[in-house]
Amino acid sequence: MAGVARLDWSLVVLVLLIGAVGVFNLQSTSLSTGSNIHLKQLYWLVLGGVVMVVTAAVDYRHLDRFSPFLYGFAVLMLALVLGIGKEVNGSRRWFDLGPASVQPSELSKLAVIAALASWFNRVPRPAGYTLRDLLPVAGILGVPMFLILQEPDLGHTLMLLFIGFSMLAYERFDRRALLTLITAAIVAVPVMWRFVLRDYQKDRILTLLDGDVDRLGSGWHALQARVAVGSGGLFGKGHGMGTQVAGGFLPENHTDFVFANLSEEHGLIGSTFVLFLYLLLILGALRVASHARDKFGGHVAVGVAALIFWQVFMNIGMVLNLLPVTGVTLPLLSYGGSSVLTVMVAIGLLVNINLRRTVF
Amino acid sequence: MSDVYLDSSAIGYRLRSRRLMVAVVLVFLVFIGRLAQLQVVEGDELGQASEDNFIRTEVLSADRGAIYDHSMRPLAVNRPAFDLYVTPAHVKKLPLLLDGLRQVLELDALDLDRLREKLEEPRGMARFQPIRVRRDIDRELVARAEALRAQVDGISIRVEQQRAYPQNDIGSHLIGYLGRPRPEEVANGDPLRYRDGTMVGRAGLEQRFEEVLAGRNGLERFVVNARGARAADQRALGAVDDVIREPPVPGSDLVLTVDAEVQALLMQALSRYESGAIVAVDPRDGTVLGIVSKPTFDPNLWSGRLPAEVKREVDENPYKPMIDKSVHSFFPGSVYKVVTALAGLEENAIEADQEVDSPGSYEFGNRIFHCHKLSGHGHLDLSGAIAASADVYFYKLGERLGIDTLATYAARFGFGRRTGMEINGDSPGIVPTRAWHDEHTPGGYQFGLALSTAIGQGDVRTTPLQMAMAYAALANGGTLYAPRIIDRIQSPDGKTVQKVAPQVVGTLGARPEHIQQIVTGLERTVADTDIGTGTLAAVSYGRIAGKTGTAQVRDIERARFTDKVKDFRDRDHAWFAGFAPVESPRIVVVVFLEHGGTGGKEAAPVARQVIEGYHQRIEPIFNTAAVNDARTPRRERGLP
Repeated sequence: MAGVARLDWSLVVLVLLIGAVGVFNLQSTSLSTGSNIHLKQLYWLVLGGVVMVVTAAVDYRHLDRFSPFLYGFAVLMLALVLGIGKEVNGSRRWFDLGPASVQPSELSKLAVIAALASWFNRVPRPAGYTLRDLLPVAGILGVPMFLILQEPDLGHTLMLLFIGFSMLAYERFDRRALLTLITAAIVAVPVMWRFVLRDYQKDRILTLLDGDVDRLGSGWHALQARVAVGSGGLFGKGHGMGTQVAGGFLPENHTDFVFANLSEEHGLIGSTFVLFLYLLLILGALRVASHARDKFGGHVAVGVAALIFWQVFMNIGMVLNLLPVTGVTLPLLSYGGSSVLTVMVAIGLLVNINLRRTVF
Repeated sequence: MSDVYLDSSAIGYRLRSRRLMVAVVLVFLVFIGRLAQLQVVEGDELGQASEDNFIRTEVLSADRGAIYDHSMRPLAVNRPAFDLYVTPAHVKKLPLLLDGLRQVLELDALDLDRLREKLEEPRGMARFQPIRVRRDIDRELVARAEALRAQVDGISIRVEQQRAYPQNDIGSHLIGYLGRPRPEEVANGDPLRYRDGTMVGRAGLEQRFEEVLAGRNGLERFVVNARGARAADQRALGAVDDVIREPPVPGSDLVLTVDAEVQALLMQALSRYESGAIVAVDPRDGTVLGIVSKPTFDPNLWSGRLPAEVKREVDENPYKPMIDKSVHSFFPGSVYKVVTALAGLEENAIEADQEVDSPGSYEFGNRIFHCHKLSGHGHLDLSGAIAASADVYFYKLGERLGIDTLATYAARFGFGRRTGMEINGDSPGIVPTRAWHDEHTPGGYQFGLALSTAIGQGDVRTTPLQMAMAYAALANGGTLYAPRIIDRIQSPDGKTVQKVAPQVVGTLGARPEHIQQIVTGLERTVADTDIGTGTLAAVSYGRIAGKTGTAQVRDIERARFTDKVKDFRDRDHAWFAGFAPVESPRIVVVVFLEHGGTGGKEAAPVARQVIEGYHQRIEPIFNTAAVNDARTPRRERGLP
């Protein structure tokens, strides 16, 4: 085991800071809604901290060998949740385990990261990957994406796609593969629109383009999030003073739209501060990647960076009315055990890779 | 393995890692820019939007002032009315709700579809706005709706003030009714005034005194949550500094000069006729004692949810119930001759005792002007000409005076301009002049028009109310008053805010003996059983003066009416204008029967009924003891 002296404290401090901001922010929504979810979130963070330490302690290279099993398990869970999952608002995303609900799509993100990293590690192409090489990649991504889309959960489906593309972007390709990828991405848009997206998902996208399509449904959510953010102004309305949550105007205020509450109460200053924390975390993850001892570690770190980045991107993009409404949570700020644990495991992996980095 | 990684690819990975970092930083810059846009650039606007979310401004409606008669009998008051509302945002199961409402309100399929559309249409915050489904449901429906409310979400029942008119259709034209404000009034008007559900005066005194009766609505701003419910602790949300409550100011009450019993008396007097008006005023100060128009309408129906069949019935009624005939102008006929008479005396065109030959017709130019009595009247002095309503006498006077002189005197009587009552149009009528004819008559003014004007034909139009004020001026010795309909305006607690004084608007400007000479003629009209045209107006125990009028009417558009209506339309307007007692006039009565026949046969007895009724049931105006001693009754009539 590498020494504690090599530990990159900056990552740990960032995670603790973001976690603390999350609990602090949820305390405000607890106040308004009379719940104690901020305490529950704190317990999840403590548990997540333990998981992070454990993840950091065991040499990540075991994960390389273990990744097919993890991947298989994740796919199995995704298939199972379609059958026996708890139906909420017309979609099956959670296993109901009594006091807690588990979301297998969260686990699948880690499994896909590990599986792709492992594949890149096992199939080195110093001259660049060719088109044929990409077929397994498409398979690894496609199966869980397909299953998650059946739940349906457009947000997580896209998350997997984006994470996959990000990890690809960390690799070299020959020209044909590159062109094909770009072409596929362009073709994918109309195909997805026609055959994959459901009406309500299309509505959300249309809402973004034209705020008046459905002011009651997703348009209402987006509008109220925008109102919450904008009404915060430069300094915010003050902790616990947000009227959008207290009045019940801001939906999903402790999960998907948690950042809107933070923006409303802490203004541009607070929001920028939190964005800055995320930026440092993501840049830190990419730095870990470039210093990784091996290709597997590097790709896992890039995957983790992508995981955090895309969640922040899709969630805050949604809150700021730049992207359609998808059920993607904000890492560590949104309330939710599965989400917290996933992020903590991911950070644990980063710390792990960083501990075992090469020294120049 | 790690060596390979380090040696051959490290630089490439580091390069791509740096590219990813740059991309990430760019995205975050975009986000920060967007944050700044929302929070700084659009901050004020979105801040307002967030306030609009939770601060609801509600208008507190002011109670409308009541209208009382002279004896403080309520004529227009408020009663609580229960309105049924549905708030779309609170509806959980629309089919269940619709089915429930269908049963309770007995809606048909069309109503139901319309209701469904109405409930499904609103979007966003508008869904929290309750929609009124049915106005003024009765108590049984309230109970059933309450039962339904316990079963399904979204129903609420609100209490509004509904206008009630205890006298129903009696005197309804005077009182008027309420209606919803028109969209343009809502758009341009004071938002406090025209809130949803506010009714405004649409006719009669309700309209004329809207400003007095309406009061001022109050305003309350309070904090609500997303369900539109009032937050328990108004300060809980912290951000609200300006929760305000401005209490409504109730409207003032009107106390009228008219008496509900007089109104009933006038309606009773009109009972045999389809269409007409009666005006009774006190000649001493122009106080209106009673004023009715027929046919009437029920303001209770018009101020609420007007049933379509009632609306259609009224629209198709050939006697035009929605026209207030007391202030609508008609041909006056011979009641107008007092104008010609006074002009003749004042202009020295005639002496009162000068006898003038009044045959059955008068040739003027190439036209023959007929008298209503084709055999003629022989030689008559002024009082005789008035009593017999001898047309030729007045043709001659008209010829001598000319139309513009007649118009000058008509103006002194108040004809040709509004009386000042200012309700339901308060028509000015028409007093034709040479200039008027040049403008309005094909071929322009011709001298013969002065002759027909002199007997109240031609193009003369007067309203029964104008006629009453004119005869009041004769009765009181020459003072023209504006009708005084409001006795006082009082605050809701009964304190007099404003006492309305009599208002003099002019004078006949005539020598007293001239007025007296005309009055003599008017008394002879009623009293002279030989030649008087208004003898059916006489009572045994007092002196009555008056003039009959039979205005010839040719109705042009009669083809589409039923026989009964055609028959009606062919008849002349019957008038009687008079006052009593002659020695000290206390009441002026003008009876106008639209297409009622001849004034003497139809209108005169109606006037007698009014005067008798007033004397016996309201206020004794005749000193009967003195009269019985001093005079022998000319006509024996059984008292009713």
